[in-house]
Amino acid sequence: MTAIEIRNLSKSFGAVRAVDDVSFTVEAGTVTGYLGPNGAGKTTTLRCLLGLVTPDSGEALVNGQRYASLAHPLNEVGAVLEATSFHPGRTARDHLRILTTAAGLPATRPDEALDQVGLADAAKKRVGGFSLGMRQRLALAGALLGQPKIFILDEPANGLDPAGIQWLRGFLRHLARDTGAAVLVSSHVLAEVEQTVDNVVIIAKGRMIRQGTLAELTGNGAGAVRVKTKDDFAPALRAAGGTVEEVEAGLLRVTGLDTEEIGRLALDQRVLITEVIHERSDLQSVFLELTGEGAQS
Amino acid sequence: MTNLIRAELQKLFTTRLWWAMALVMFAFTAFGLAFLIAQAGAAPANGQPGLPALDDPAWLPLALSFASGANIFTMILGIVLMTSEYRYQTITGTFLTTPKRGRVIAAKLGAGVIIGVFFAIISLLFTGIVAITAVLIGGGSVDLAGGRIPQLTLGVFATLVLYALFGIGLGALVRNQVAALIGGIVWAYVIESILGAFPALQTVGKWLPGGAAQALMNIDFETGLGESNLLPAWGGALVLVAYALLFAVVANLTTTRRDIT
Repeated sequence: MTAIEIRNLSKSFGAVRAVDDVSFTVEAGTVTGYLGPNGAGKTTTLRCLLGLVTPDSGEALVNGQRYASLAHPLNEVGAVLEATSFHPGRTARDHLRILTTAAGLPATRPDEALDQVGLADAAKKRVGGFSLGMRQRLALAGALLGQPKIFILDEPANGLDPAGIQWLRGFLRHLARDTGAAVLVSSHVLAEVEQTVDNVVIIAKGRMIRQGTLAELTGNGAGAVRVKTKDDFAPALRAAGGTVEEVEAGLLRVTGLDTEEIGRLALDQRVLITEVIHERSDLQSVFLELTGEGAQS
Repeated sequence: MTNLIRAELQKLFTTRLWWAMALVMFAFTAFGLAFLIAQAGAAPANGQPGLPALDDPAWLPLALSFASGANIFTMILGIVLMTSEYRYQTITGTFLTTPKRGRVIAAKLGAGVIIGVFFAIISLLFTGIVAITAVLIGGGSVDLAGGRIPQLTLGVFATLVLYALFGIGLGALVRNQVAALIGGIVWAYVIESILGAFPALQTVGKWLPGGAAQALMNIDFETGLGESNLLPAWGGALVLVAYALLFAVVANLTTTRRDIT
């Protein structure tokens, strides 16, 4: 069964079409990055999936059912929505105890979950004194309470320090690879998820722009080489079958030839080159290009 | 459902508000009782009505009725039980754990009943201990089974429970915590006081929760403003039950369909 299935989902708030005909699926054992700039409709999609927002049309299903019809939701889905959903006067453990009681889970779960996210020492501290990073960990502990096999995380890396982001990456990989969970994680910062995700769904202004594996997305546009030289190298490169674009004086962008071919050509032509760089199309530039954000930068 | 009600009570008892409310309630009741003890036996003067003396059998029921003054605090707790979920966005976690929202509302109302009963017990104990001590010192005798005391006790329970439910219903309707608290306090202290105090206005006031609770407790002591115009005790009880149902329906309707963004 497909762990998460979103089919032709649409939702408007007043005149704003927050989510417009979005469809994608997430399978068990994989991490899917749900990417888009702020305000793209990521959070609304996830809230529809979790039964907090009623979609205008389309369906959002977990384990083939609507979230609201799950008998034991915390046992099937763990969600992290925003790191601010805590009463500041309540301790971390009490926050989790309340969820545990309401869901009818064993009373040992709060401490186990706190341990799992590295918050055991702060269990008896009031959440009001927590840093944003600690709140993110506490939110994640809440998602782990019912030991679910589906995780839906909205910008979980927000507010984490570099070490925290490193830890989160490892943790998400562990959930997917070792426990076979399906993980859907949204982000507006690609670097946070680039090393973690198997699949990517890109959304902008409510519409889905691209869906595919990481390899498929970064494969496009690969193969260009930047060459720095003060000599007149372009004619030789063209003669050898390359397409040459002069980016600026002394900087050429060559496609159709690889770095080795260009190096040999330079040697033959006795041309001095000071730099040869294979331009790898990283997810960031694909992302900026696709969401139309690259035009300004 | 038991789990959900327990979770709602945990929400209240894991923050500091409840014992702050209990302390203020004690101070508030103590203030009223101090006045009642100091003025006991005062003769009518300057248009002010007189009060029964400490050894008068009418004094104790009057003092015990002060226990119902805690209604304002159960109302506040009811409001907070609902609105703090929105203020701190914990409603998200609540609905993720229990996506059938009607069950959350039912659990909150169930917890409201327990909170009302709990506060009625501590309020009655506190008022009872102070008032009985005062009567005994004043040379009177105490008969808890006699007069209107059993009915009055029941009235205190009903009032405190009902105002907790009223607070939950109000909180579901007005999700802004500050607005709901101000609205609730103005309602209980200003509107109901005015409509309940003057017999001429009691034709309206007797149908309000405060007036109905008064009817149930049957406290009609001479205020110098004329004959009281209250419902019979059973009528008061029915009106209170009708309000509780109304608040439950309001809480349910306003909460189950809204998007949580």
